[in-house]
Amino acid sequence: MSVSRRKFLAWMGGAGLSTAFGTKAYAASNKQFKGYPDTMGVLHDTTLCVGCRSCEDACNKVNNLPQPEKPFKELSVLDKTRRTDSKTFTVVNKYDNSKEPKNPVFRKIQCNHCLEPACASACFVNAFKKTKEGAVVYDASVCVGCRYCMVACPFNIPAYEYDKVLDPKVVKCTMCHPRLLEGKLPGCVEACPVEALTFGKREDLLKIARERIRKYPEKYVNHIYGENEMGGTSWLYLTGVAPEEIGMREDLGITPAPNLTSGALAVVPMVAGLWPVFLTGAYAISKRKEKIAAEEQAEAVSKAVAETNTAAEEKLAKALEKAAKEKEAAIQKEVKKALEEAAAKAQEEDKEEDA
Amino acid sequence: MSETAVKKIFFRPDRSLLTPFNITVGIIMFIGLILTIMRFTGGLSAVTNLDDNYPWGLWIGFDLMAGVALAAGGYTTSAACYLFGMKRYHSAVRPAILTAFLGYALVVFSLHYDVGRPWRLPYPIFYSPGTTSLLFEVGLCVALYLTVLFLEYSTAALEWLGLKKLRNIIYKLTLVLTIFGVILSTLHQSSLGALFIIAPSKLHPLWYTQYLAVYFFISSMFAGLSMVIFEGSLSHKYFHDKMDETYLKEHDGLVLGFAKGASFIMAGYIVIKIIGIAMDNNWHLLGTGFGIWFLVELLGFVALPCFLYAVGSRDKNFSLIKKASLITVLGIVLNRLNVSLIAFNWYLPLKDKYIPHLGEIGLTIFMITIGIVAFKFIVTHMPIFYEHPDYKDSH
Amino acid sequence: MVKGKMKFRWVGILIIIFLISTYCIGAQVFAKLSKDESKSRADVITIDTLKVFGYLEKPEVTFLHDVHTDALEKQGKDCLACHLPKSNSIPGVFKEAVAGIDPLSPKFKRLEDTARKEVMDIYHKFCIDCHNDMGAQKLETGPVTCGECHKESKTVSSRQPAGMDKNLHFRHSKAREKKCEQCHHEFNEEKKELVYVKEKEGSCRYCHLENPKEIPVYAKDSAQISKLSMKEASHLDCISCHRKTIAKEMDAGPVKCSGCHDAEMQAKFKKAETIERMERKQPDVVLVSTGDKLPDDGRLGNVRMNAVAYNHKSHEESNDTCRVCHHASLDKCSKCHTLSGSKDGDYVKLEKAFHQIGTDKSCLGCHELNQQDPKCSGCHVFMEKGRKQADESCLKCHENLTPDMMNLVKSGDNTALAEKMMKARSTASETYPDDDIPEKVVIKDMMDKYQAAELPHRKIVNTLMKNISDNKMAGYFHRDKGTICQGCHHNSPVSTKPPKCSSCHGKPFDENELLRPGLMGAYHQQCMTCHKEMKLEKPAGCTGCHKEK
Repeated sequence: MSVSRRKFLAWMGGAGLSTAFGTKAYAASNKQFKGYPDTMGVLHDTTLCVGCRSCEDACNKVNNLPQPEKPFKELSVLDKTRRTDSKTFTVVNKYDNSKEPKNPVFRKIQCNHCLEPACASACFVNAFKKTKEGAVVYDASVCVGCRYCMVACPFNIPAYEYDKVLDPKVVKCTMCHPRLLEGKLPGCVEACPVEALTFGKREDLLKIARERIRKYPEKYVNHIYGENEMGGTSWLYLTGVAPEEIGMREDLGITPAPNLTSGALAVVPMVAGLWPVFLTGAYAISKRKEKIAAEEQAEAVSKAVAETNTAAEEKLAKALEKAAKEKEAAIQKEVKKALEEAAAKAQEEDKEEDA
Repeated sequence: MSETAVKKIFFRPDRSLLTPFNITVGIIMFIGLILTIMRFTGGLSAVTNLDDNYPWGLWIGFDLMAGVALAAGGYTTSAACYLFGMKRYHSAVRPAILTAFLGYALVVFSLHYDVGRPWRLPYPIFYSPGTTSLLFEVGLCVALYLTVLFLEYSTAALEWLGLKKLRNIIYKLTLVLTIFGVILSTLHQSSLGALFIIAPSKLHPLWYTQYLAVYFFISSMFAGLSMVIFEGSLSHKYFHDKMDETYLKEHDGLVLGFAKGASFIMAGYIVIKIIGIAMDNNWHLLGTGFGIWFLVELLGFVALPCFLYAVGSRDKNFSLIKKASLITVLGIVLNRLNVSLIAFNWYLPLKDKYIPHLGEIGLTIFMITIGIVAFKFIVTHMPIFYEHPDYKDSH
Repeated sequence: MVKGKMKFRWVGILIIIFLISTYCIGAQVFAKLSKDESKSRADVITIDTLKVFGYLEKPEVTFLHDVHTDALEKQGKDCLACHLPKSNSIPGVFKEAVAGIDPLSPKFKRLEDTARKEVMDIYHKFCIDCHNDMGAQKLETGPVTCGECHKESKTVSSRQPAGMDKNLHFRHSKAREKKCEQCHHEFNEEKKELVYVKEKEGSCRYCHLENPKEIPVYAKDSAQISKLSMKEASHLDCISCHRKTIAKEMDAGPVKCSGCHDAEMQAKFKKAETIERMERKQPDVVLVSTGDKLPDDGRLGNVRMNAVAYNHKSHEESNDTCRVCHHASLDKCSKCHTLSGSKDGDYVKLEKAFHQIGTDKSCLGCHELNQQDPKCSGCHVFMEKGRKQADESCLKCHENLTPDMMNLVKSGDNTALAEKMMKARSTASETYPDDDIPEKVVIKDMMDKYQAAELPHRKIVNTLMKNISDNKMAGYFHRDKGTICQGCHHNSPVSTKPPKCSSCHGKPFDENELLRPGLMGAYHQQCMTCHKEMKLEKPAGCTGCHKEK
């Protein structure tokens, strides 16, 4: 992944809040970044490697790394499988050879300098950069030390200076980028006595590798490791046995690391765009529900009141009717007492009305 | 009741400082401080077992991954109350927001221990943004969300301080803040899972899926709900006297409602987890050791509490619900540890596996203790479990 | 409700019991496995017979045949304890060898695989009964429960294919007093019987295929293809004959698995001191030509490649079986492999039958395989396989004809021509005189780190010459004096003064010469690869060649 191809944030307005917008432009398209033109690389022919550790020695000197406990001439170190650490950018490991048990296979391990590096894609401060020369370089001046690059690297390469307090760095092979700029070869390549390491344009290296496979089909596995792994790497490997047998994972796939996360990143603007709408909608709906509930309540209350009123009126009417009948009966029955009785009734009616 | 009166009630000058709680806290704080000094004088290697194969350890796996998930109660409760019209849960919002705020603050605090150069933590946002990184998204969202939580929480503090005007201004922002909170939570809860999408070769295939982000988001919902229930039951035990009538009255309904909600979400989660296995056709892996571990996580810590929640909310069985919430909380912790540590680098031989250093465990306990102390202080002093008498019915 | 709870409890208890028992059984099996079975043996028979009836319900059984043979022998029992006699259904000549003794069916306690249930019962009944009986007699016995037999086994089969090589054939023919008909036969379709045809003997495998269900295209119509696989035929007849010989208390061949199929035992087979040539009227020399008829003008080489004189006799000597070349029948190659390819030859053209690389059946393929000998591979490893042969190497076989030979061509006497050509051939006996070979070459290119490296040049040349001296084929192909030099001095014309390495190899990673290593790389690749290929222990390490300063 190149810097120029990176899509930067579009900062959303409003109260300075923002959301990551956009992601790798080609994530969903069928375009594939195949590296800068004329990008350099190294072809490691493991069938030629003799495990002399000259490359480790050279790397140590070129990068001014601390001397290891055992000198580089000590080959017993190879009996243990090692990995890169904060004091070693490259190691050579020895593996059993299933084809010829008497001749172990050696493989040099260092940063593979991916065409689209996982570390660069993972770094949240852009500390890693794929240069046009092919090297993936690290800028300690912005590194926060979160070590996500180490989690992301499919080849387990970056190491960390856990023992440093103020300036711990992520450490890995630089492909001798400063030397490349001076027109020199990477230290390890220069030191390799058998040219098991070939430096050149990646395109040329692929040609060389293919030619070797064509010429000696029984010697090589028909696979250039690194041609497509994780989208392709600047370091390429030729092997005489299955790469898996010499510690190179064959299940990495050919998807460049940035493409793995592009889906998740692409969701971000969608969430940022749609959530407010949905949530405000949900809020509006719940508000509206409340409002409707309130209205219904009010209606119910008024209805209840009205019903009570009607009932009261009916009662009154009935009472009046009854009273009238009784009045009539009373008049008919007791004409004499009518006046007194009528006065009393009138009083009662008054009371009822008050109630 | 005036502000001073409230203060009088909760300040007890007669109480001794040498309670068992205070002594324990004191010891933990002391050890924490020593470890802090060791960390910042001897580097990460002095107090951690982190190595080149395991750049992330307990602090990321537990403090960050599990911490953020368990602090999800903030957005779930506030969303339920303010956005989805469950006004009856209103009294639960403040405790939930407070827990979330403290949780996130501690996440950020413990990050200062974990990263190599903590003073550069603002770099990704202000100096050199690496926008292709999911960690960038996490960082940005966590920073913003912490601000949002602070603002949401600040109403309680302002009430306590008696800054009525400012409190009312911020209170008016509640709706906006809640919406932002949900957006930001959605983004970073899911992105925490998506962090591992870049490493398909390192995470065990049963846990690795393109749906990691979805799993993390969905599980954060029931994690949040369970945490509210769990923490509520604890608060009931220890801060019962700080709770007002409304809170107590609403609490049972809240527990039942959240239990039901969590049960539904967990059922959905199980379904999508199974879909994940089917999509990658990983059935055969279920027979392996990691497969059994995966089933333990899914059946023992999701399916079981899901079932218990359902039964509990149907029978109004609160103790069952409490148990379920505890299992769920443990399950979330287990899940986050699985993804970030246990199933990570699964192919490495046992001797190369990461086992946390005592210093890492000590500092994690230190962080939790800080959280508890802060929580205790705030709920004893500020209107969290009760409504400030001056602001009754203001919502 | 109570009832429901009880049910759950019982289910729980049952599950726990099940889990515990599974664990225990598993542990037991595992303990056993790790105890005694990690060896490789030649007598491993995997009993998966039921596969012919479909799927297997339980894991296949790993059966150690010789263990059983030995155990039965101790009790005075023989093969008949397990194997039923099977009289040969096809009458014929070779009966004499096995007369009086019925061949035994290789199948256990049955002649045919009848039905799933029956076959399964046979195994279960007889195996378990026998194991029980022996147990009752307090003898060491075998398992009687399912899981003990039906389980994954760690015993690896080291069974080697057994074959009749020249030595074995000679010893058999001597023991049978050259009565070829006791083994060799063919099928007479009319009489429906096995007959012996003198001088038509062939390899068993021509008719008894590895898998009679997969008959190669070219043999589809052949009545000679037997229903008996090589495995069945050999176990029926070889073992019967051996048993009969044993019964006569004579020196006999093996009857146990390991006797034929164990690599160590094979190495111990007696070697006849002189192996007489097989008598089948095969030619000593052959003129290998394309087609029988010559062009009208009598000139060879006009429209076709020159015919090749082929030393049949010496190839017989250097190969173990006829089948190496005569892979499908003892006919001439061109019978099946026609110029333009035919069904009989599986569409492998005559040219390919001779020149195909990557197979041991063609001339070139076999010659190339011989180059993998450590004596040869030091030089030959650098040579591209499957390369286009240079004209001069074609001429090594397709020789130019002298006028004498041309006369023989015209006379049509192919044998005489072939003999004459053969005689005219020479093999390498020497290279350039020592004076022309520098004794030492001093390489001063890494003087900054080490002392100059001394290359014992003449010693190397002499060693290489010695390596080819006892190899007739190598001698023939390296007959020119300068050929041996080409191993190192490649890519330049043969000369006593070849260019120095540094005249081509210099700066590494030259963009214009992508495939050419730099000087240091060239030296190290050439020297170290060659030493590795030739399995030379010395010189070891950097200082083996470059002395410390």
